[in-house]
Amino acid sequence: MALLRTREIEHLYSTASCAVVLSEVSKQYGQKEAIAPLSLTINPGERVAFLGPSGGGKTTLLRILSGQLESSTGTVLLCDRDLAKMPTGREVSQLVGMIHQQFDLVPNLSALQNVLAGQLGEWSLLKSLVSLVWPLNRCIGLSALARVGVEGIAYQRAGSLSGGEQQRVAIARLLVQNPQVILADEPVSSLDPARAGEVLQLLVSIADEAGKTLVASMHSVELAREHFSRLIGLRNGAVIFDLPSHEVTEDMLHDLYDLKGLRAEA
Amino acid sequence: MTSMTSRDSAQKPRLLESRRVLTLILLAAFAWSLLNLDWTEGFIHSGGISAMGEFASALFSLDLSADTLSAAVSASWTTVAYAVAGLTLALFIGIPLGAIGSGVLTKSPWVRATGAGGSRFSLAFFRSIHELVWAWLFVAAIGLSPMAAVLALAIPYGGILGRIYAELLQDVPEAPLQSLRSTGASEWRVFWYGRLPMALPDMLSYTFYRLECGIRSAAIMSFVGLGGLGHEVRIALDDLAYQQVWTYLLFLIGLVVIVDIWSTMVRRRLSE
Repeated sequence: MALLRTREIEHLYSTASCAVVLSEVSKQYGQKEAIAPLSLTINPGERVAFLGPSGGGKTTLLRILSGQLESSTGTVLLCDRDLAKMPTGREVSQLVGMIHQQFDLVPNLSALQNVLAGQLGEWSLLKSLVSLVWPLNRCIGLSALARVGVEGIAYQRAGSLSGGEQQRVAIARLLVQNPQVILADEPVSSLDPARAGEVLQLLVSIADEAGKTLVASMHSVELAREHFSRLIGLRNGAVIFDLPSHEVTEDMLHDLYDLKGLRAEA
Repeated sequence: MTSMTSRDSAQKPRLLESRRVLTLILLAAFAWSLLNLDWTEGFIHSGGISAMGEFASALFSLDLSADTLSAAVSASWTTVAYAVAGLTLALFIGIPLGAIGSGVLTKSPWVRATGAGGSRFSLAFFRSIHELVWAWLFVAAIGLSPMAAVLALAIPYGGILGRIYAELLQDVPEAPLQSLRSTGASEWRVFWYGRLPMALPDMLSYTFYRLECGIRSAAIMSFVGLGGLGHEVRIALDDLAYQQVWTYLLFLIGLVVIVDIWSTMVRRRLSE
């Protein structure tokens, strides 16, 4: 048991490094071009934030990277593998995991069960059914909850938790899923500023200690500057700038969010 | 996303308008039915008013004799037993057919279409025939046995439960399911970890409501001779013993209230 426990916990912190390479990726919805053909390389272990006005293409790009959305043209390489050619959702889930603004936990299950659901892709149907009644692999779930600082709420219903706690549980689920690349779609936009800073700090430090690549879309420029090493400005589906955080100037940000020339959103 | 919204907005006005037309047709049908009533004769026949008065005043002189009370208790027990047994059997029909009928267990369009279509058709067949008709059929087939009552209740109730379960399972929020899928979970696992837990409180509360209805139905069912509260009510009515009728009716109301309180307690515990 002791051996198993250490092995399970090690699994949470296994280091990895994985690059994300987009070449000529575009996305069209009918006539509308959500993403103009764009190419970029995100290096292993890098922390990148997409900035830009709503409808600029941040979320669309993240959904393409997560495999939820197919790009119209171009290829996405995750860890040198073509995302479009991966046969099952299970394989994709080992490479890339995503957290959302609205946390997306199952409200009627306990925090622990939500966290353990990170392994659903690997469990047999029988094991997942048993675990629904009597959570299996508790250790790994509890240590993930401890890592994000909320081990005390393991047996509470996810729906009864505060926003900050729910987002921590979602991060713990991601720890258990253990993908190589972490995507975060406006991960702290629905939290108050104090909570937002803490949760973001947590996300970044988890990505750092496991050497994971972190790609996020960010609403707040200040938080993005503080926590990410590279900022990419997206506007009308095109890259406006792609620079280390400290090289991004106020003028560039002003141009990025300027209302003039913004395509009207439906 | 954008193309979808524009298509939706193009379709919505037409849907709204056709709904209004339907409302107008229904209102017109109602008005027409009022015009066709014979208002000169009155609704109630001449002796009706005094019979109603007698019936109402019997409420204040309930028959609480030991005989009537023991008959009421044992009839209540029979009625509850029919309702619970019938509803339990209905769950075995409603849960699997509802889950298949919701079409959420598989992504394969072929399996989905045949499975969902087949189970929705059988659910519709089960519930389109009233429990009294089923009771009559089963009494004809297997005689006046409790089994006839239980089966007669289980089949239409299974059809109703299955249909509602299917809809509740379809209508859960999509985002948590999507995030389960992104952990590599198959639709079956998404069903057990997302859909079912999220739909369960509504499914339970609807099932409790159906248990209430089941108690009412079981009481009525005994009119065909299967014993229970309805049976006692009918005998008492035939004897014009309105005091007894009220005693039995109050027992029936009591049962429904108990189920209601029980369901409130269960739901409160679930949403804690």
